[in-house]
Amino acid sequence: MVNINRRKFFRNTAFSAAGLMLGKNLSGSTSDEFNDNRTSLPVPGNIMKEVLRYRKINAHEHVGMGMTLANQIDLADRLGVEKLEVSFPIAAGGKITATPDEFIKCNDVVLSAMKQYPDRYLGSCFINPEYGKESLEEIKRCMDHGMIGLKVYNQVKINDPLFYPVIEKLTDLKMIILMHAHCGIGVGGKRTKYGNSQPNASVPEDFVDAAKRYPSSMFQYAHTGGGGDWEYACKAIQDYPNIYVDTSGSNNESNMIDFALKYLGEDRVFYGSDGSFYQGVGNILASNLNESQRKKIFYDNFNNILRKAGNNVN
Amino acid sequence: MLIDISANIGHWPFRQTQCNTCEALLARMNKFGVDVSVVSNMNGIFYKDTQAANEELHEEIRSDSRFKDRFIPFGVINPIYAGWQNDLETCSSKMGIKGIRLYPLYHDYELTDPSCIELVKNARDRGLTVAFTVRMVDSRPRAWMDLAKEWTLKDLIPIIQEVPDAKYMVLNISSGTHLNEEDTKIFKDADVVFDTSGKNIADLGGLISKFGKDMFAFGTHAPILDYVTGLLRVESLRDNEADSAAKELIRSGNAKRILGL
Repeated sequence: MVNINRRKFFRNTAFSAAGLMLGKNLSGSTSDEFNDNRTSLPVPGNIMKEVLRYRKINAHEHVGMGMTLANQIDLADRLGVEKLEVSFPIAAGGKITATPDEFIKCNDVVLSAMKQYPDRYLGSCFINPEYGKESLEEIKRCMDHGMIGLKVYNQVKINDPLFYPVIEKLTDLKMIILMHAHCGIGVGGKRTKYGNSQPNASVPEDFVDAAKRYPSSMFQYAHTGGGGDWEYACKAIQDYPNIYVDTSGSNNESNMIDFALKYLGEDRVFYGSDGSFYQGVGNILASNLNESQRKKIFYDNFNNILRKAGNNVN
Repeated sequence: MLIDISANIGHWPFRQTQCNTCEALLARMNKFGVDVSVVSNMNGIFYKDTQAANEELHEEIRSDSRFKDRFIPFGVINPIYAGWQNDLETCSSKMGIKGIRLYPLYHDYELTDPSCIELVKNARDRGLTVAFTVRMVDSRPRAWMDLAKEWTLKDLIPIIQEVPDAKYMVLNISSGTHLNEEDTKIFKDADVVFDTSGKNIADLGGLISKFGKDMFAFGTHAPILDYVTGLLRVESLRDNEADSAAKELIRSGNAKRILGL
């Protein structure tokens, strides 16, 4: 920022900005003069060519939570998203502590979506670890029907002993565990002087605890753009290579993607939306990634996870 | 032509911001095809004397011949701080501003404060556009020293009712577009433009149906938000949602109208 003193300020007389293409009345100059100062600008609309140039697997999305499947597929089509990992991790009425009957119903919604759009949806199973036996049975049922991973909200923290058998099961299956995550003041037990909403939400330290206990398991820290402090989260999980992040969420703060790559490297970051389709794609395109890194984030990194269990996209 | 109506330079005190100078912003504009940016200085949100920030912006734009044709400056004015009338006069007559951005939550006054109403009327009389940002940042990951409160679109209605004939921009709309008919009419009857940067502009096609194609203009809310998302919302519209003429209005036509260009 340039400093200015009072004398310099008043020496600068009135000026009119943005004469570019707006006629000479604002700046007293012509458009031709302005063009001399410019590089050749892309044509409006060309950004969509850039969007559609990249294959995409969306690593964090949901069904059954408000948006119709048709509308969701339409959004995916606009943005060139081939595959969407989807789950339905909250029981009807927003109930967190789903009973087995309730989480089975949620998974049936996902299975129905997979059946309706078999080439687009990759289902993830939802369970409530408070029901250990039924959860393991449901994981088997869902995987037998072609699901590719697990998504849990904040039924328990990711490092809760109730979750251990589930982690071990998914590890055996070579599948990733996507868990709701948060890193805001007054959430999940962080800085409780600001309250403690979602007390069972997993904070970065909970992920680290689980990753240390299960170093061969794969954990997906949900939505860096989902309302948490993504700088804190990336720094907290930096040293644990079995924790990945997806960049979904509505809070498309600039520099989030570059920051994630700086701390986690280019192989631990997945593209995702979690309902925020434009932010998911826009933030990656706005970042300073090279071509190879863009491809990794949009597609290859998550596909490599799927490949471990033979569920990769060709 | 593409005009970004919601860009910023300057610092955000709780997180390092990239591309927060005219030079860096111009590079972003060139890369993504933005011809002109409406810009103000975020330092003015945090300085008690906002005029210092306006002077910084003015000087920065004056510092390079490339800048004056690519940036439209807006001033940041705090109507409960001494001397704002003189500051507005200076911004308007000597700095070439086309509008002002107000930050009542950060500057700690109500929209219906008599000083705020006086400022908006004063701006109206000078032909300046008055811009409100629904939120500067998402309050969820905020720093402990930052605001916990966010506006919704409805919170702006009182000032529009007080000064219905002013020109308004509403930026980074994070919530509140699901207005009832009565409140929707208040916005539609006024001369208001919404930018496309906010998360509540999730279905721009549907919002155009509700509010009309004349009420939206491309915006980035850079450097707080990423530079591309606001553009994707416009360029991904299908023809049955916005034809080429409507898209041009959103890219630049509505911005020109509200700015009097």
